[in-house]
Amino acid sequence: MPLIQISHLKKSFKGTEVIKGINFRLDKGKCIALLGPNGAGKTTTLRMLSGLMEPTDGTIIFTDAKKGEDIRELIGYLPQFPVFYEWMSGLEFLSYAGRLAGLGRGEAKARSLELLKLVGILEAKNRRIAKYSGGMKQRLGIAQALIHRPQLIMLDEPVSALDPIGRREVLDLLEGLKKETTILFSTHILNDAEEICDEILFLHNGKIVESGSMVELRERHQQPKIDLFFTGKSLEYADIFSNHKLTHSISVEGNKVSVFVTNIVLARQAFLRLISEQNMPLEKFEVSSMTLEDVFMKVVGK
Amino acid sequence: MNQWLTLFQKELIEMWRNFKWIWVPITFILLGVSEPLSSYYMPQIIDSLGGLPEGTVIEIPPPTASEVLIQGLSQYTTIGVLIIVLSTMAILAGERKSGVAAMILVKNVSYFSFVTAKWAGGLLLLWLSLLIGSIATWYYTGILFDWIPIDVFFQSYFLYGLWLTVVLTLTVFFSASLLTPGIAGFNSLAVVFIFTIVTGALSNWLEWSPSQLTNYANEMLLSRGTPDDALPASLLTLACIIILLWLSVLIFRKKELAS
Repeated sequence: MPLIQISHLKKSFKGTEVIKGINFRLDKGKCIALLGPNGAGKTTTLRMLSGLMEPTDGTIIFTDAKKGEDIRELIGYLPQFPVFYEWMSGLEFLSYAGRLAGLGRGEAKARSLELLKLVGILEAKNRRIAKYSGGMKQRLGIAQALIHRPQLIMLDEPVSALDPIGRREVLDLLEGLKKETTILFSTHILNDAEEICDEILFLHNGKIVESGSMVELRERHQQPKIDLFFTGKSLEYADIFSNHKLTHSISVEGNKVSVFVTNIVLARQAFLRLISEQNMPLEKFEVSSMTLEDVFMKVVGK
Repeated sequence: MNQWLTLFQKELIEMWRNFKWIWVPITFILLGVSEPLSSYYMPQIIDSLGGLPEGTVIEIPPPTASEVLIQGLSQYTTIGVLIIVLSTMAILAGERKSGVAAMILVKNVSYFSFVTAKWAGGLLLLWLSLLIGSIATWYYTGILFDWIPIDVFFQSYFLYGLWLTVVLTLTVFFSASLLTPGIAGFNSLAVVFIFTIVTGALSNWLEWSPSQLTNYANEMLLSRGTPDDALPASLLTLACIIILLWLSVLIFRKKELAS
């Protein structure tokens, strides 16, 4: 069931069209990644969905919103660089946000403590935010986005600025949140999207160039591939494989030959036999599938 | 209403944490009180600086209590204005620039409440600081010179407060419409300055101008009566304040929070 429906969304800045009419829908309970290279329009899209920016054209419809209801009640938003009142403590800021969202004093405090625990900064609850590290601020940012139990949370590059440990922790946190709410987050890190998302939206130059679930994407772009690593120059062996009847296409990088094949089972047998017959100096034989990165390069490269 | 109070309360706490509740009243006390003190101790001050050459006879007529109080209060229209503008100019522009306004307003927070709660916080600080400062000035004028009737004093306090509220609201207005606190502050000072000059030059025609209020307050202290134009000028000022505040909300809402 769709939670939100976006049609013909456009945004221009001083005559330059940054978002060129995009359409998509977000389904309830899913975790969706908005992927794209820097400057693709990810932040602009999220800002329009959150109401911080007016679209130049197009509509954003929340299926659940009652007539005249402020959509801000339904969403939680974490900007790329969250900023807080630095003179407040983490607990104070969350309680403040909760009170603004309409919770009572006691309720706001209880919910804040619950969220501080969830995001793992409970021990720093009374510390001034000015003293928080980048990772702690990011987590506080996620907590404040959740305070009013929104139906959709939007996170703009939630892990890009974090070190590997912080990144791991935030990803695990998002994984846990999937059960409670719909998540839309933007990133340019493909592994993150691949790891926790159900669906992907590829944004490139202000257009959605590819979208779908991970499974759909794999199927659509799937091409079984065998990577062969040789000692020394691999070019001389590349010819042998490129003329093979099971080969679809081939690419050579240094000592690595990547062969895209039509049938992985037959190709594996045939290639291994060929290698031993010809006594090729093989170092590594790898059957791999297309990664999101390959898909990304394919859709963005064209 | 609950939301408004939460926003208002946050302003009060913030002003406490960054010591505005301490330094603004103290500055107002020092500004005002320095006048009766320096007038009273002028002969001693001159003596301690080496005195006048022997034989000079300069008659300095001792100022009246009203004159001293007027001198004291007039500090608030110069340095006081500067303090109000400097302490208010970042009130909206600063939060928008840092991005924290977007963090708050992406939630279901009314723009009207957001702006007016901030304004009300500044208003409370202003009227309380002015009250403490001018009562101290009134008190020192009383013990060193002569007592001015408290009702006359309060009426002029009210007129001074009203004029400074215009300054405050104007600063809030510029802070809502501009992105840089410094430029908002500069614009506020420039407008107040030009406005005062123009009103001064054309005072015969601009009797109801808000910046006349302090002149009426001074007249009141000298003559112990209420000038005829004080009431219409006050009402017009009140109208200006409401319009400026309303425009502030309107412009702040219109401006995109993220750019």
